[in-house]
Amino acid sequence: MKPRSQSIRGERGMASVAVLIFSVVAVVILIANFNLNYAVNTSADAFDTYNSELVEKNGLAQVVKESILAIGETAATNSGNSLQTEIQNRLGGMSFPAGVSVTLAGPVPAIPANPSFPSGTFPIGSRAPAGVAQPAYFSTTQTAVAGLGNLITSLLVQGPVASLGALNVTFNRVNAVSPVSGEREGAGAGDNQNYAVTANLFSVPLTNIDVVAYGLPASGTIPAAAPAVPPGFFGSGASSLVVTSNNPANDPTAYPDLYAATSNETLPYQYRNAVSFSWNAYEYLWSAGYQNSLLAAAAQPDPGNQPFPAPVGAVYDFSSANNPTIDGVTPSGNTVTINCAAVQSPVVAIVDAEGVGTVNIVGSAAAGTPFVLLVRNTAGGLGRTQVMFTGNNNRPAIFYLEDSSVGFTGGPQIQGALFLDPACQAAGNVTWFGHFSFYAPSSPLGTLGISVNDSPSVKAALAPLAPRVLLVSTTASR
Amino acid sequence: MKPVSPSHRQGFSTVEGIVGLVLFTIMMAALTYGGASLFRFQADPEVTFNGRTYTQAPSFNDFRQAIDLHAAFAQAVDQSDNVIVLGGQRSHPVLDPNGPSSALSETFADTSLAAAVGSDPFQSASSWDQRQLNSSQFGPYLTSGADPADFTILTVQGLSRITSITQQRRHTTKLNSQNVVLYEVTHQTIDWSGGSPVLTPSPVGGGTPTYSYRFYYLASEDSWAQPPGATHYWFRSDTTWDRDQEGPTRVIFADPYVLAGQDPQAQITSVSRFAYFLAQQR
Repeated sequence: MKPRSQSIRGERGMASVAVLIFSVVAVVILIANFNLNYAVNTSADAFDTYNSELVEKNGLAQVVKESILAIGETAATNSGNSLQTEIQNRLGGMSFPAGVSVTLAGPVPAIPANPSFPSGTFPIGSRAPAGVAQPAYFSTTQTAVAGLGNLITSLLVQGPVASLGALNVTFNRVNAVSPVSGEREGAGAGDNQNYAVTANLFSVPLTNIDVVAYGLPASGTIPAAAPAVPPGFFGSGASSLVVTSNNPANDPTAYPDLYAATSNETLPYQYRNAVSFSWNAYEYLWSAGYQNSLLAAAAQPDPGNQPFPAPVGAVYDFSSANNPTIDGVTPSGNTVTINCAAVQSPVVAIVDAEGVGTVNIVGSAAAGTPFVLLVRNTAGGLGRTQVMFTGNNNRPAIFYLEDSSVGFTGGPQIQGALFLDPACQAAGNVTWFGHFSFYAPSSPLGTLGISVNDSPSVKAALAPLAPRVLLVSTTASR
Repeated sequence: MKPVSPSHRQGFSTVEGIVGLVLFTIMMAALTYGGASLFRFQADPEVTFNGRTYTQAPSFNDFRQAIDLHAAFAQAVDQSDNVIVLGGQRSHPVLDPNGPSSALSETFADTSLAAAVGSDPFQSASSWDQRQLNSSQFGPYLTSGADPADFTILTVQGLSRITSITQQRRHTTKLNSQNVVLYEVTHQTIDWSGGSPVLTPSPVGGGTPTYSYRFYYLASEDSWAQPPGATHYWFRSDTTWDRDQEGPTRVIFADPYVLAGQDPQAQITSVSRFAYFLAQQR
């Protein structure tokens, strides 16, 4: 053992150096490994941060959209708050990562008005309200529809719509934990952001979609499933809209892929615009407020009115003993005949407070200025108003029918928009060019043989007189 | 205790020798392990398949390229009106419930969709609808014998403008007597800012596609908790009211820096960090 011991003693210095070199090399390699893994982790974290901020900014875009809709949506009730208050309220309900806060920056603009006829100032025959532009698809000079998302463009390209302009809302995002950008590329870099949300507002005539099977979430119910339709119901180029349950137990066309059973079904957000159009707008349409505004418009003097002291206006009331003389309206007992070719007023209203009236609508062979015919049954279920369409009609008109029993003689071809309220029944056969909407939960299609066809000219003619839905598209950038 | 003589101080004692040997062994082990790891992470063994170079995973270089690609992809999706995902499972709940359905070949480089003229956007509410509407355009490019991991993603602005084409392909083959699985992911950005389409060249060396990464695993390691590929989810398919309403599609890209299936005994299998739940309708 002694010689070996001497050998070790003799090589002590070299062995120490060797161990030192190996140690240094090993440490360098381990540090290189650490740096490599660190680089991967920080790159991955930065990518995750990038993705999460995409989600965050899009969430803010949704906040702005919902705030605008809370105030200005075409619905029976709206919030009286300012847009700033609505946004603040929603921001307060949001959760952000620890240390992150998002606040409004700068003033929040007001929402432009979106009045529907008759309270709006839409000149008959125009394609858009005065002073606002018809959006184009890839326009560089006005609001372009492209880039706003197919969920809204699918509704915007169906007919004439008006751009109400854009609102800009900015947010400051502050990360108190890792606020500095640029010093490193890891998580938290660039966490202090400015988010700019641009909201594009559009006013869309309800008549742009050819067929709407609507629901009434507040005053009625929503359709569990889409109604069955008669053969040939969807005619040439007809667009349609119905929003139903995603629960396969309610709607046999639905799949359970993404359905989560909860006590109250929540529709995915991709249905938001469709719900605005086919649910909430009809709450507004059939509300007393809108119907009364149509009555008020019909109360304006008619060219056929007799001189004072005879009553004026274009409202015929079956319960009144002293009705005005109205061009195109011929009374006979409890029956009035509407000659579409002879109507002069933009709005003619027939009021049936006892459910005893009969309204015969005779079509116009000639084209002409569009008008609105409101058949308002306020009998509260005492009886339906009988409404009978006769002859082809080439003069576009909007027919609002309440609690009516609707029929068609001779299978006419009619241009216009037919709105049936939830209490309406219908039978007969008709070919319709323009818009047709009905309450989906009590569909009249079991007895009504109707074929609905798309007609761009009818849509354009009716747009100024139609209720207009506010649709909002928000995009966010950072 | 026996005193240590001065002569002993001139060399190692037995204890010092043993300690030195142990330390040396530890250092050598660390050196070997670290060197092997570093070599595995950085040496990037490569193979050539169909004229393209694939690097063995985990590949840091490919990971960097993947980050660039997915940042561009996420931005294209964010700014699109519509996302079309072709390929994968359940492209239609009734007509193609299992898949894998055909993707578009890698030679597809069209910059617009032909069906836009006069089409009804209500009838393009799913990738399946888009496949039908653009059948004459897509037909020559549809792949046959698609792999479940294959897919093509088109981001579209308006009804017609394609703003990006993203492809994933998986190839299974035998190289150097080893069964390997090769993944290829490409992303072509199409710039419409000038009013006409321009294929954005790669920032590294120019050419197309704009971004790409290619890597491979040993076949035995291609094991994932969520396999790469596309899975379509549906809200409903309603032929009467023309409501082919597709929900978000789960899209999982292969991850070049994940040791997929390296440890067959592992309780948790690998998950790609490049996973998306892509809404078709934006």
